[in-house]
Amino acid sequence: MSENKNIYKPIKAKLLEVITESPTIKTFIMEPEEEFSFKTGEFIELTVDGIGEAPFTPSSSPLETKQIEVTVMKTGYVTEYLHNMKAGETLGIRGPFGRGYPIEKFYDKEVLILGGGCGFAPIRSLLYNLVAISDKLRKVTLCYGSKTPDECIYQPYVDQLRKTPKFEVLRTVDEPNESWSESVGVATVLLDKVKVDIKNSIAVCCGPPIMMKFGTYKLLEMGYPENDIFLSMEKNMSCGLGKCGHCMMGKYFVCKEGPVFTYDEIKDQPDIWS
Amino acid sequence: MNDITNMKKFYSLLYPDWNSAIDQLLANYLIYGPIKTDDSIDYEIVHSENIAEVSYNIPKPTTPLKTFFLPVKENLTTKISSISKRIIIGTPNCDIQGLKILDEIYLDKDYIDTAYKEKRENTILISSSCFETQEHCHCMIYGIQPFSKEIADISISRVDTRMHLEVLSEKGENFISELKNYAAVSNSPESEIKDIELKQSKIENEIIANNSGLPDYKKTGKIVQKAKEEIWNKYSSKCVSCGACATICPTCSCFLLIDKPNFEKVRQLDTCQYPGFERVAGGEDALGELPKKFKNRYFCKYVWKPQKFKSLVCTGCGRCIEACIGKINKNELFRELAN
Ligand SMILES: Cc1cc2nc3c(=O)[nH]c(=O)nc-3n(C[C@H](O)[C@H](O)[C@H](O)COP(=O)(O)OP(=O)(O)OC[C@H]3O[C@@H](n4cnc5c(N)ncnc54)[C@H](O)[C@@H]3O)c2cc1C
Ligand code: SF4
Ligand code: SF4
Ligand code: SF4
Ligand code: FES
Repeated sequence: MSENKNIYKPIKAKLLEVITESPTIKTFIMEPEEEFSFKTGEFIELTVDGIGEAPFTPSSSPLETKQIEVTVMKTGYVTEYLHNMKAGETLGIRGPFGRGYPIEKFYDKEVLILGGGCGFAPIRSLLYNLVAISDKLRKVTLCYGSKTPDECIYQPYVDQLRKTPKFEVLRTVDEPNESWSESVGVATVLLDKVKVDIKNSIAVCCGPPIMMKFGTYKLLEMGYPENDIFLSMEKNMSCGLGKCGHCMMGKYFVCKEGPVFTYDEIKDQPDIWS
Repeated sequence: MNDITNMKKFYSLLYPDWNSAIDQLLANYLIYGPIKTDDSIDYEIVHSENIAEVSYNIPKPTTPLKTFFLPVKENLTTKISSISKRIIIGTPNCDIQGLKILDEIYLDKDYIDTAYKEKRENTILISSSCFETQEHCHCMIYGIQPFSKEIADISISRVDTRMHLEVLSEKGENFISELKNYAAVSNSPESEIKDIELKQSKIENEIIANNSGLPDYKKTGKIVQKAKEEIWNKYSSKCVSCGACATICPTCSCFLLIDKPNFEKVRQLDTCQYPGFERVAGGEDALGELPKKFKNRYFCKYVWKPQKFKSLVCTGCGRCIEACIGKINKNELFRELAN
């Protein structure tokens, strides 16, 4: 990092397209004005000019360097403004920040991914990456849960994955409708249905805190060692740089030392699920 | 010239000469020094008329030194033409030591905060030895002496009619060269250095005596970690979440970025004692309950940051005790835990 770079100044990015994924989730495709690349699982701070900034993990492939996508759930102040933005407008990007997924550790393994809600966003980026190196992996199983079929995002990508060798997708919803033909129940019920060779497998978990908590407990129960469970932690963040203090989770600055941690690394820290 | 004097690089000049040198230095520097008012003592901008009012060898001014490097509010994206060179006189060692943790965070080589760095580089720190102590000073308990040997550029002491300046850094050395343009500077006689050292050790003993029974830093970390919830419930019951303890603390370093049009970012100091510090989407707030929030500050300082950083995150300055409107005294809490 250059000594004189202003770490707080965002680079500008043109909003190329907005895709409505569900009633509350949209994907924003952006083209940064300057060179920008990231590793999967690292996050960016996205600025809505004059309004505010919020952390998001890109949902696009880290191998794609011209454009970058984030998939955002409308939950509050900044995300509401973001959801009202149109193609052609300008956003600001700082980053990439943090420590993403250690892909090399997945080599020769089965990868079991548990995701819920908007947690599919970072997972999609991870999946793009895993597809690109699938010759090095044994198998990838995605277990994804959402509240309703309406909120199941990335349908075209799911269809595509289901046709990809070595990749399997299981889905569940809490509240099904007539046309839903997949599982029903919370995301963790899918873990009862997967066949994994735990000794040769690692698990990734990303989603709402409640799902992360029970998902992790379930994975431990299944026999996953604590350091083979990779969690993507969500904390309040402001700077993204290990300075402002907002993201402290015990001894960790989640923004800098995370957001991806093994369960082993964080199990003794306070309030990891809230 | 005596060997020790040579090694320690003590310079001395007459007090009136020092004052007139400061007057001349005002042409090149913005100078701050502690000045007494009726009920407090705090840093003021020094100008020709108030030079003689600057106090030396007194305990901490009200404002923590951090404020000079992390102003309450600061625009981080619009470049101020160039930051003026500053001299800060009269900072006690607790606050000088408090810069260590700020340096670790803000000068972290992965992400250097240029706004902070520029201010650090453009400031000459003239620390002064404490020849007095206040009720709540407890630096010695955490291994901090009431006089500087590092981080500051100069350590200053006034003995009768003479000022003694001990050089602690290259910047300090350059300052002495500059000073020589304006005043007759000589080496301090050994007898007077001895005199200063005597005063210093007298104060050290006084601070230790004033704080008998107070656990040291390591022990404090251990007892904080083991403390039962009742302790936090009890002590936090008087807390009104005003944030004064953290705002006035020389080592509390948290902030919030605020957005302004044209992608400008303004840094505003923030603290974990204010509401919503850890609130996330959906409203979940790990520090939502008062005892948890209160406890967070103790864990941050004595348990978590010590696991991550080399520097102390409490210097024992005592400001948080003096500032608390709930009259919460952290040292009473520690004594209760230690017993
Ligand atoms: C590393 C990381 C990656 C994330 N990736 C995604 C993603 O890919 N897609 C997605 O939809 N969401 C993601 N989030 C959550 C997203 O950042 C929050 O939904 C967003 O900050 C909410 O902002 P708001 O102003 O709309 O909400 P409000 O509730 O109005 O927030 C107000 C303020 O609270 C703070 N705040 C509230 N919630 C959060 C939060 N969860 N994280 C940090 N600060 C918060 C902020 O300071 C914010 O300014 C991620 C969070 C983190 C930490
Ligand atoms: S916690 Fe209190 S005593 Fe310690 S440095 Fe901060 S203000 Fe001073
Ligand atoms: S005690 Fe609170 S305000 Fe102070 S540095 Fe720690 S988290 Fe920040
Ligand atoms: S100064 Fe006292 S009342 Fe105010 S937040 Fe700190 S402990 Fe609470
Ligand atoms: S977000 Fe500022 S320290 Fe992590």
